[in-house]
Amino acid sequence: MTDLTKNRSSGGETIGALLAKNASLHGKDIARREKERGIWKETTWAEYAQEVVACAAGLEKIGVKPGKAVLVLGDNRARLYGGMLAVSLLGAYAMPAYPGATLEELRHFLGEVEIVAAIAEDQEQVDKILELKDAGAEGIDHIIYDEARGLGFYEVEGLLSWDHLIEVGQHDLNETPGLREELLSRAKPEDPAIFLHSSGTTGAPKGIVLSQKNVLAAARNGHAAGAFDENEEILAYLPMAWVGDYAITVAAALLWRFTVNVPERQETVVRDMREIAPTFYLAAPRSWDQMLTTIQVGIENSTPLKKRLYHFFMDRAIAAETRKLNGKSGGVLEPLGRLLGEAIIFGPVKDQFGMSRLKNAFTGGEAIGEDTFVFYRALGIKLRQLYGQTENSAINAIQSPGEVRLHTVGKPAPGVEVTIAEDGEILVRSDSVFEGYFNKPEATAEALEGGWLHTGDAGYLEEDGHLVVLGRVSEVMHTAGGERFVPNYIENRLKFSPYIKDAAVIGAGLDELTAMVCVDFEAVGHWAEVNGVPYVSYADLSQREEVATLLREAFQRVNKAVTEPLRLQRFVSLPKEFDPDDGEITRTRKLRRKVVQERYADVIAALYDGSKEVHVSAQVTYETGEVGKVERSLPIREV
Amino acid sequence: MFYRLSGVHHANYVSDSRIFKVPADRNLTAFIFLIGLAAPFIIPSLYLNSYMLPWLIWTAAALGLNLVTGWAGQLHLGYAAVMAVGAYSSIHAARFGVPWEFALIIGGLTSSVIGSLFAFAALRVKGLYLALTTLAMQFVMDWVLTHSPAISGGSHASLQSPTLALLGQEITTDTGFYYVAFGWCVLVTIFMLNLKRTGLGRALVAVREKDFAAAILGVNSFYYKILAFATSSFIAGVSGALLVATFFFLAAPEQFSVAVSIQVLAMVIVGGLGSIIGSYFGVALILLVPGIVNGLVVTLSDGLGMQIDVETLAHIPNAVYGALIVIILLIEPLGLGKLYGNIRDYLMVWPFDQFKK
Repeated sequence: MTDLTKNRSSGGETIGALLAKNASLHGKDIARREKERGIWKETTWAEYAQEVVACAAGLEKIGVKPGKAVLVLGDNRARLYGGMLAVSLLGAYAMPAYPGATLEELRHFLGEVEIVAAIAEDQEQVDKILELKDAGAEGIDHIIYDEARGLGFYEVEGLLSWDHLIEVGQHDLNETPGLREELLSRAKPEDPAIFLHSSGTTGAPKGIVLSQKNVLAAARNGHAAGAFDENEEILAYLPMAWVGDYAITVAAALLWRFTVNVPERQETVVRDMREIAPTFYLAAPRSWDQMLTTIQVGIENSTPLKKRLYHFFMDRAIAAETRKLNGKSGGVLEPLGRLLGEAIIFGPVKDQFGMSRLKNAFTGGEAIGEDTFVFYRALGIKLRQLYGQTENSAINAIQSPGEVRLHTVGKPAPGVEVTIAEDGEILVRSDSVFEGYFNKPEATAEALEGGWLHTGDAGYLEEDGHLVVLGRVSEVMHTAGGERFVPNYIENRLKFSPYIKDAAVIGAGLDELTAMVCVDFEAVGHWAEVNGVPYVSYADLSQREEVATLLREAFQRVNKAVTEPLRLQRFVSLPKEFDPDDGEITRTRKLRRKVVQERYADVIAALYDGSKEVHVSAQVTYETGEVGKVERSLPIREV
Repeated sequence: MFYRLSGVHHANYVSDSRIFKVPADRNLTAFIFLIGLAAPFIIPSLYLNSYMLPWLIWTAAALGLNLVTGWAGQLHLGYAAVMAVGAYSSIHAARFGVPWEFALIIGGLTSSVIGSLFAFAALRVKGLYLALTTLAMQFVMDWVLTHSPAISGGSHASLQSPTLALLGQEITTDTGFYYVAFGWCVLVTIFMLNLKRTGLGRALVAVREKDFAAAILGVNSFYYKILAFATSSFIAGVSGALLVATFFFLAAPEQFSVAVSIQVLAMVIVGGLGSIIGSYFGVALILLVPGIVNGLVVTLSDGLGMQIDVETLAHIPNAVYGALIVIILLIEPLGLGKLYGNIRDYLMVWPFDQFKK
């Protein structure tokens, strides 16, 4: 234990040291809850640490050691998180993957590093790993599973249950005195915490290893910036392979002793969120939009009295927030309306969605629409923006609760230095910045040139130190007329409309801008129901004339906000949504521009050659892995 | 709007099976309990012992009938007879010198034995036939009471109840009587609330829904029906005894006539089968509304200066009250309890119409 304290005093915290500290000083506090058959099973820090150490001992026995990787595959499960920590104790790479990842995507990981074991959630994921083994991943000797259902009759060598692994490890711990302490203090701050992948909007995903020092520094910076307090209640529902989830659910949770609540299933997240009422909640703008749509649809379907009361208070609150955002002061009756509204409408709405205890609410990953932003502020949720990327352990800049503006992402967090390169690129320096892309010295040299992390985002610092992010530097494009534009910026503005789920703006090297959009099936579907527009499928709905009118309005609103040469002239509503399985967007729903431009080359050509209609056959990958085609003629519409 | 559910989660099954899972329900119940406790100090004595006290005792009795009719689904038209058994046996026991605590239990047990004896015979038949058999029990009891001077003192006599004394304390004041009634009603309510979450309660509901389907599931429906009759009869017996000891002070056969049986059944049906809060409402409606309507009609006719003759005046409240029952059952056939449930649901999902994912 002596050298643990030394580590801490020198600022070199490790996951093991923190686990040991939490277990000894806060052993009885609840570290995590996992819902199982309706009951939230609680684990204390002492039990949690014991489980992780036993798992580490077990993993060591089956050959996990520094330099090797363990694949973690599944939805959020408490044991998968524990497994990742155990792998870090051993100094090996914990490599989480998106549960929906296809075989192709997983095979890509194999080429990077030797994977010796895999921790899988259930039979589905075990099957995927077995398939992967057949496809050439002989190195995966052991597969550890959490949920045993359906696996009883599998006769595969190296397949073992989590409980069995723990038993083996526990046995080892009992046999060898001092092994527990040794395991907890083995890894050094420079040792890896996690092996993630860049989203791969351009080309194949790159491996990113974050050290324990990186992720814990990010957790410290985030706390210093007021992103989270100690002992937060959080819901672990974000994909485990996303850096945001690791930074919050694992790193910050360990450092600041959060209670991590793992929902029963992905489908029950909404309900489970209500039961837990987290105090910290991070979600992508899309999720906030979706929740807003659900609330609005729910109100539209409600009884007249409730509806009227809702609109009475909500409309006033939104107007008040908008005034505040524009720097105007409110009326005399505003506090009264706020008070009554909170009791009659806002409180109950927040309660229904489990947001009544929410102190730190964040949106990150993309820009958020003004309507959505103002709505949640009006509801009394202090929604803030957070900016970061995988290379910097997710935390660069955070808005503080008091000073929130829509166009900035806040000041750089303490411990993070931000400067702007001459070409407008945002550069970052911090303890939380990674050491380099895995086995890609060229890309690393490029990204870390001059000791600064080149984020690839274009932006500027305002006079008062607030950071404004414009979009990807690589995406800054020019029209034939030489007009500079960032397609992502315009796409985000299009997506602020609840009816548009995805958009791709085209116009690089061309005379004018056009766009392809995918309508939001839920929102537009509901709109169609209410307005008596008949439809049979997504493909049908997306091409309806009435829907086109709806989309046209969204386009006109965006056109008002951009300069004359950047106005969108024409658009096509696509007959299928962009899907990560088809490769059109990444698993974090970022557009893969190149793929989209290749796949819809016909449509793009038609947008510019003056034709009225274009025949399209789009590829659809089903969940079984089969590939189908959607054939349809799409009208080209003028804005 | 009042129901806040976020943050309510259960880390073990004990917590998951608690009676009031919704904080607002728990608070409301606690509030009402406190009001009940403070009633003697806030409600004038006249109202306390002529409205509150009978309301509470009849609610306890109605809850007992609800157990057999609402939970186990067996129609019972002889409930007043069972109450009579309890009342007479308790009073006789008390007159004999048995302490009241035991006298009440003796009354309950005698009712229980006689109630289940009849049930043994009656449960060989179902539905309407059962209803008729229980009605027969009512008449047999009426006949026994009026024709056995040893029990009732004869057809026109009444039996004086000795002074009630519990825990060595003679109870003679209105407040004292009220607290006895309140305590009993709370006891029965707690029992019924717990019944819902026990194996017994679930078995009874299974028997109610379809007795042979329950039998297929391994629930011995005959056993549970008898158990329901026995338990309900115990509650009836003690309620009957307390009614005499704290309210009537005399026991007479006509206090437990067939009309009373029908009235208790009406309380249960108007309140809502299988609903605890409904029993409170149902008893209030059947017991208290006639008085209120009567008062209203008299004030109204006086105020308007209408000359209504006494006969009509006596009939109007009855007509209004009958109409009220019909209207309530038209609006909500499942009774006042369901009506309360509807309001609760409306507020539960506030401000939505239903909670959607």
